[in-house]
Amino acid sequence: MHERLSFYVKRNSVIHDLNPLTKVILTLALILIAFTSPWYWTPHLLVLVAIIPLSFIGKVAPEFFRTAIRIILPAAGFLFLMQAFFQPVGDTVIFKFYFLDVTQESLMFAFRNATRVIVMVSAFTFMLLTTHPSELMSDLTRRGLPGQFAYVIISTLQILPQMQAKAQTIISAQRSRGLDTESSFLKRMGSLSPLIGPLVFGSLAEVEERAIAIEARGFTSKKVKTSLHEIPDHSSDKIIRWGLVILVILSIALNLWPS
Amino acid sequence: MKIEINNLRFTYPTGLEALRGISLTIEAGEQVAIVGQNGAGKTTLVRHFNGLLQPTVGSVLIGDWDTKKYSVAKLASRVGYVFQNPDEQLFSKDVGTEVRFGPRNLGYSKEKIDELVTRALALTELSNKTETNPYDLSPTWRKMVALASVIAMDTPIVIFDEPTTGQDAVNVARIAHVIAKLRREGKTVVTITHDIDFCAENFERVIALASGQVLLDGPAREILGQEEILAQTYVDPPQLTRLGKKLGFKETVRSQEEFLNSLKNSIDASQSK
Amino acid sequence: MAFINLQNVTYKYPLTKTPVLQNINLQVNEGEFVAVIGPNGAGKSTLCYALAGFVPHFFKGEISGTIEVDGVESSKSTLDEWVLNVGLAFQNPFNQISGAKYTVFEEIAFGLENNGVPREEIRPRVEEAMKMTDISNLADRSPYSLSGGQQQRVALTSILVMKPKLLVLDEPTSQMDPIGTREVFGVVRRMAEGGMTVVMVEHKMEWIANFADRVIALKDGQILLEGKPNEVLTSDVLAENGFGISRYTSTAREAKKRGLWKKENLPVTLDEAVEGFKLG
Repeated sequence: MHERLSFYVKRNSVIHDLNPLTKVILTLALILIAFTSPWYWTPHLLVLVAIIPLSFIGKVAPEFFRTAIRIILPAAGFLFLMQAFFQPVGDTVIFKFYFLDVTQESLMFAFRNATRVIVMVSAFTFMLLTTHPSELMSDLTRRGLPGQFAYVIISTLQILPQMQAKAQTIISAQRSRGLDTESSFLKRMGSLSPLIGPLVFGSLAEVEERAIAIEARGFTSKKVKTSLHEIPDHSSDKIIRWGLVILVILSIALNLWPS
Repeated sequence: MKIEINNLRFTYPTGLEALRGISLTIEAGEQVAIVGQNGAGKTTLVRHFNGLLQPTVGSVLIGDWDTKKYSVAKLASRVGYVFQNPDEQLFSKDVGTEVRFGPRNLGYSKEKIDELVTRALALTELSNKTETNPYDLSPTWRKMVALASVIAMDTPIVIFDEPTTGQDAVNVARIAHVIAKLRREGKTVVTITHDIDFCAENFERVIALASGQVLLDGPAREILGQEEILAQTYVDPPQLTRLGKKLGFKETVRSQEEFLNSLKNSIDASQSK
Repeated sequence: MAFINLQNVTYKYPLTKTPVLQNINLQVNEGEFVAVIGPNGAGKSTLCYALAGFVPHFFKGEISGTIEVDGVESSKSTLDEWVLNVGLAFQNPFNQISGAKYTVFEEIAFGLENNGVPREEIRPRVEEAMKMTDISNLADRSPYSLSGGQQQRVALTSILVMKPKLLVLDEPTSQMDPIGTREVFGVVRRMAEGGMTVVMVEHKMEWIANFADRVIALKDGQILLEGKPNEVLTSDVLAENGFGISRYTSTAREAKKRGLWKKENLPVTLDEAVEGFKLG
C-alpha cells in the first residue's frame, strides 16, 4: 500500500554522496540568497544555473521535473497571478482587466516573488530526492540533535499515512452501521464523534505499545548510537558548507548596504 | 436475503487486481465461511456486499438492490458488517448507547430499538454490562459489544470479518452460539475466517479464495477434505478431518461426533471381518 | 541456579483493584523453551512484561516479590540495561514497527544502532537474522507495506538480531498461516537449542506439544498447572477452566469414555492421535 513513504530516490551520484548536512545547508543557502540578493534576476538565475543542473548531476531530473510540473509550477503560477493582479504598485499600466490595472511594476514584482517560491520549493524537493531521511536524522543526531526529537519528526512523517488509513477503516465501519457521511453539513458535524472517538482511543493504546516496542530495542540506551549507513563527511563537504555560508553572508551584506 | 455476485472484478487504485472474476450466489439463510490466505481477496469481496467497495467490472445484488444504486448507509439496513477490530468502531460512553447507534441510524421506532437492543445484549451476554464504558472492558468483551452493535440492526444478512482472532476458547464458543442463533432466525451469515476448525464446526458451505478467484466452493464436508487444493491457499484442513484421513476413514469428518461415529463404524467393520 | 527466578511475584496495575499476577513462583533453566497458555485476562501478557522489565520499570503500580534473570534482580537494574539481555516481541505487529525506518533491513538494524553496535557488525548480523526467519526477500520493502504475518516475522527478527539471553514472545504467530507458524516454532526451537532461554505465550496447542520443553497454565494471575507439555495439555483441569484444548485431546477424551481410546495418555498432536486411535 504505502510502499513509498519518502521522496528519496536511491541513485549513484556525487550529490547522493554529499553529507546530509551539506545538502541541508545548500538548500537553505539557495533560499536565503534568492530572498536577500539585491539583484533582480538572482532567483531566476539560481533556478537555471544551480537547481536544474544539480538535479541532472544528482540523477534525479525525471522525478524532479515531475514534481515541478505537478506541484511547484501550478502553485507558483497561482501566486504570480494573484500578485500581478492585486499588488497595487507602479503606474506603468500595461493592460486593464475589468477594474484591475496590471502594471509593469506589479508584473515584475510578481515574477520575482513567484520565482523565489520556485527556488524555495524546488530546493527542498531536490534535497528530499537526494537525501535518505534516516541518514539525515542520524547525521543530525550525531551532531547533537536530541535523539527523541529526531524520532518524533521522522516517525510522524511515517505514521501520518497510517493514521489516514486507519481513519478510512473507521469511516467504513461506521458507515456500515448506517452512519450517513454523505449528507448535510449539520448531519456531518453530528457524525464526527463516531469517527474521532475510535481514532483517539486507538492512537493512545498504539502510542503505549510503540513506546514499549522501541524501548525493548534500546531506544533510551545511554550508549553512543551507531548507524547502519556510513554517512560520508569529506573535507570537500566542509569546504562546500563554508563556501555556501560565505555566499549567504555576502548576499545579505549586499542587501543591507547597497552600493 | 439472497446475495448475487456476477462476474465481479475489482482493481485497487494502486493497480492491484484483488478480485479477478467472481460469480457466486448465496441463498437466503445460508451460513457461508470464506477461507484463504492473506491477500486472497476475502475482505475485498465482502466489502462489496454493503457497498464499501464498488465493482470495477460486474455487479453485486443484495436481494433486488444493485449495490451500485444504493449508499452504504442505505445498504446498512440489509447488510450488517462486524469489522475485525472492535476498537475501530466503538466510541460511546456506555455499551447500551453503543449498541443503539446502528438501529437508531436505520430510523426504527423507539420501541423497536429498545427491543432489538435488549435482545442483542442478551444474545451476546452483555445484559449486565449496559452501563459500562466499552473501553473499561477487556478486548474479548469489546469484541462482543461490536457483535451486539451490528446484530441489533436486525439485518437479514450479517458479515463477520475474522470473528475469532485473538479470542480465547470461551469467547469463541460464545461467538459460535451467536452465529447458531442467527441461523435459527433465518439470517444469511457470511464469515471470513482463518480458524479452520471454527469453520468446520459452524458452517455448512465453504468458499476458498486464492488470488482473487474462487478456488473451491461447496458443502463444508466436501471442501474441507481437499487437502492438496486447500494447500494452494495455505489452508490446512481441520484437525479432525486430517485425523480421519490419516486413519483411512472413507467419509470426511468435521466434528467430534462425526469423527467418533466414523471411528466406531470402522472398528465394528474390522471386528466383523 | 535457575536462569529465571520469580519469587512470590504479585503485581497490580495502577488504578485497578485486583492484582493481575498473584504470588507467581517460577524457575526456568538456561536454554529451556517454556510455553505459557491461559484464557484472556489470565495475566499472560503481564507476565511477559514482568520478565522483559516493563513491569515495574515502564508500567507503574504495586509490585512485590522478586524477579531475577541471569542472577540480576530486575528492581536493581534499569530498563535500558535489562533489555540488552531480555528481548520482547508481542502480538500486534503493526505497533512494533519503530516508525523511524524506511526499509525492513533498517528496521531490524534499529536495535543494534541504539545499542552502539559497531557499523561493521550491523550488516552481517541483520543479514544472518533475516536468513534465520526467512525474510531476506523483504529487505528493501517498507515495513508498513507488509501483511500482518510478515510484520510479525520482522518484529521477531528485530529482537533476535539483538541476541538476547532470554527471549520473551507474546503470541508471535497470531496472524500467521500454518506455514509461517511452523517456521517460527522451528526458529525458536533452534534458538533454545543454541542456549537461548525462551518464554512464549501461545494458543496453538499442537505446536506447543511438538516444540516446547515445558508448559505453564496461567489463570486469574496464578499458575494453575505446570509440567511436561503432554501432561499439562491433556489435563482435565484445563478443559474445566476455559482453556483452549487441542481437538485431538477433547475427542480422545470423549472416545475414552466410550471405550474407543485405549491408551493411558491422551494425545495433543496429530501423530499422537493417529498412533493412539490405530490401537483402538
